[in-house]
Amino acid sequence: MAQMWITMGPQHPMTHGLWTLRVKVDGETVVDTEAELGYIHRGVEKICESRDFTQVTPYCDRLCYVSAMTWANSYIYAAEDLLEVDVPERAEYIRLIAAECQRLASHLMWLGAYGPDIGSLTLMTWCMRDREMFLDLLQELGGSRMHYNYPRVGGVKRDIPVGFADRLIAKVKLFEKRIDEYEMMLDESTIWLVRLQGVGYAQAEDMVNAGVTGPNIRAAGVNYDVRWAHPYSVYDQVDWEPAVEKPTSVKGADCYDRYRVRMEEMRQSCRMILDAIEKIPGGKNTNYANGDEMIIAKAPTRAPEGATGFSNYECTRGASQFYIQGGGDGRGKNPYRLSIRSPMFITIPYVAKTMIGYKVADIPAIMGSFDPCIGETDR
Amino acid sequence: MEDAYDLRTFLSGLVDDIVHSAVEGTPLEENADALSFGLGTFLVVNVVFLMLFFSQFAILWIERKAVARMQDRYGATTALRSLWVGENGTTAGEWWNMLPFGLGKPIGAVHGWLNKKFGNRDEKFATVDRVNNRSWMGFTILPGFFQNVADGMKFLVKEHMVPQRADRLIFEVSPFLIVSSTLLILGMIPLSSGIYATNPDLSILYAIAIFGIAPIGVFFAGWSSNNKYTLIGGIRSAAQLTAYEIPLLLTLLSVAILTGTFNIIESIHFQHSAGVWNIFLMPLGAALFLVTMIAEVERVPFDMPEAEAELVEGWWTEYGGMRFGMLFMAEYIRTYAACFLFTHFFLGGWHLPLHGTIGSIEFLGIGAAYQMIPGAGVTLIKSWLVFLIVFVWARFALARIRTDQILEFGWRMLLPLAVLQVILAMVYRLYFFDASGMDDSASGGMAWDLFGIPMLVPILTTLFWTGLFLIYLNDEGKSVNEERMFHVYTVEPAGTVVPGTE
Repeated sequence: MAQMWITMGPQHPMTHGLWTLRVKVDGETVVDTEAELGYIHRGVEKICESRDFTQVTPYCDRLCYVSAMTWANSYIYAAEDLLEVDVPERAEYIRLIAAECQRLASHLMWLGAYGPDIGSLTLMTWCMRDREMFLDLLQELGGSRMHYNYPRVGGVKRDIPVGFADRLIAKVKLFEKRIDEYEMMLDESTIWLVRLQGVGYAQAEDMVNAGVTGPNIRAAGVNYDVRWAHPYSVYDQVDWEPAVEKPTSVKGADCYDRYRVRMEEMRQSCRMILDAIEKIPGGKNTNYANGDEMIIAKAPTRAPEGATGFSNYECTRGASQFYIQGGGDGRGKNPYRLSIRSPMFITIPYVAKTMIGYKVADIPAIMGSFDPCIGETDR
Repeated sequence: MEDAYDLRTFLSGLVDDIVHSAVEGTPLEENADALSFGLGTFLVVNVVFLMLFFSQFAILWIERKAVARMQDRYGATTALRSLWVGENGTTAGEWWNMLPFGLGKPIGAVHGWLNKKFGNRDEKFATVDRVNNRSWMGFTILPGFFQNVADGMKFLVKEHMVPQRADRLIFEVSPFLIVSSTLLILGMIPLSSGIYATNPDLSILYAIAIFGIAPIGVFFAGWSSNNKYTLIGGIRSAAQLTAYEIPLLLTLLSVAILTGTFNIIESIHFQHSAGVWNIFLMPLGAALFLVTMIAEVERVPFDMPEAEAELVEGWWTEYGGMRFGMLFMAEYIRTYAACFLFTHFFLGGWHLPLHGTIGSIEFLGIGAAYQMIPGAGVTLIKSWLVFLIVFVWARFALARIRTDQILEFGWRMLLPLAVLQVILAMVYRLYFFDASGMDDSASGGMAWDLFGIPMLVPILTTLFWTGLFLIYLNDEGKSVNEERMFHVYTVEPAGTVVPGTE
């Protein structure tokens, strides 16, 4: 049968953003693919060279529109490495809680978008609804629902409000029940299983070689979580385990494994939040004033020439890395150079190649299971 | 048994009288019979069509309401409740307060109690309220009902566009092929024994033959749009056709064998005269019919031709304006027709449950009153319930399966089961059916006795298939899936691993 190229994108329900997947199909079978990225390249790395270290945070928020808190944190750790700041422990705990709330919201957004990919619209509304709970919590911290601009070099912008801890615990405990509900709806549905199982195999070895990180590689049995292997912040003080799925096939992890690992990771985030809010130094119901030394440390504003800062951070989609050189404009006020390593930029071209051999209907199933985010990909 | 309300005879008689008195003494007098027949048929057909067509708004409304509730995670029982309780306890349109002399007060009291007991209590339901609260000048009756009319109006004022280099003739013709063939199905569907448009002897065959025309129109539409997505959608539709059409026809064949007729009305009469609805004699056939009908009308989980995740909107991507609106309407008419056919073939059409038993109660005239319930209303309510419980629920609980999977499902599971159902229907008809037990009176017959025990055949059949269903429900590859779930490795505690040494 004749083969033809189909251009899926830049506006297509499968893409979850702005990019193009060119697919060569033979009937319904995919025989070749080609990913074209770069539609929303904004030049964040270059913009940051003309901003001082505090002003960079909002740009890093906007790297990923569903996971702003983790990206801002990721930048902040690199800046603190550069400026050599000791962060108060309470601020670290607050950052951890905020990042894990963001991880829950991001994974819920993933599951909600994955439902329509497979054809289940109900999943979308259910997930959006639960995501609201965590967006409300993050709004209490950062004042905004999407781009929080919350972490500061040396700490956080403001302390957790009074009563935040109670609301957090109640919502997380409710959400733990809701995860069971999702599993009741999905794992017991034969259609969900036949659409996901045996589709989109990705070998652990191939993924390691390609540089894929995060839940996608943990689904293939690779026990690598930056929070666990190189613990930053206070991840070594709270109670959790990395979610690692053991694939049942020698062909690697299929879509179902990637779905399972994210569901499990949501459970672990809940566990982490519930533990961290009890262990937080200074008490969970106290509220320190802005700028108090319990939540933010004094930090220098200038970095000397030649100094470098680096952070390796587990974002919701994998390891995000920031590399900053000090000594830029304004006698060291700005970074001289800032470089971002985005996990999805590496993953998407890899995923495009894993689709070969499957059906056209599997394209959204496979692409969605890797949780693409184009904001961070194109930077 | 005949329904008590014979609209057809009434309208024909009315037209007959009017025509005969109008043409008396004119040269048309000798053609009066032909004239009154023509006008009477025209009137009846239009009245029945309008009844069917406007009752279709109800299913759109039911779907809207039910979906809002299901997506608020309270399940289909809440969806049913929402039809009478209304939103947030206040907005159901308190029409009972408008009745004179406070006659509506008891209804208001029941409504208040329902709301207090099951109503939406707090801001958790804000989404539903925003979606569903459509009021006109603060006055709401049947909240959301006329939203569909508003949507249709919106389609009407849109521009009609044909893609460049599309095959314009076919592109324009195919929506009419789909819509007109869909409307023809309604001609075969009786609302009761006295309310139907036409009644050919082979109406089952005719209805299914008409059902099969639309996929050709879909294929034309997909091919002529000059778009790769529509092309794949059209071809998927044709591929899907081969998977479900044969099991569907075999299922209908088994219905025909069991009831001994190819006529819809006669098969309903048979169900009453023999004493039991077909669903209790052939639960397997009912399930097969529903599955294949969902595939036939292209709804989730079998909506691959319009899979919006990968094919944008499938074969109707390029249609806009009222053509899109008509195609959308045609899809719902097909769904509605499928609900009617299920009602007629398996749920006894316009016959109420225990029509004869309750009908024979003479106390306070309860039996007579029960039998005076209009058959058309019973048919409509049954079809709406089939739509709500099967079609809407399936659509919002399930995902979409793949084209190769439905082919495999159709050929390897549905087809053998349909053949089995045909054989079972033959065995039932030949060895268990007792023709002398047929009775067309109000009480119904007892044609399915076995060993002198009344209704033993349907009881045993239903128990057998229900048991089989429950066994399958419990044993659905559970161990395999449990093995795949909940793997969390416990590795060395965080912080003890030194990078580079492992």
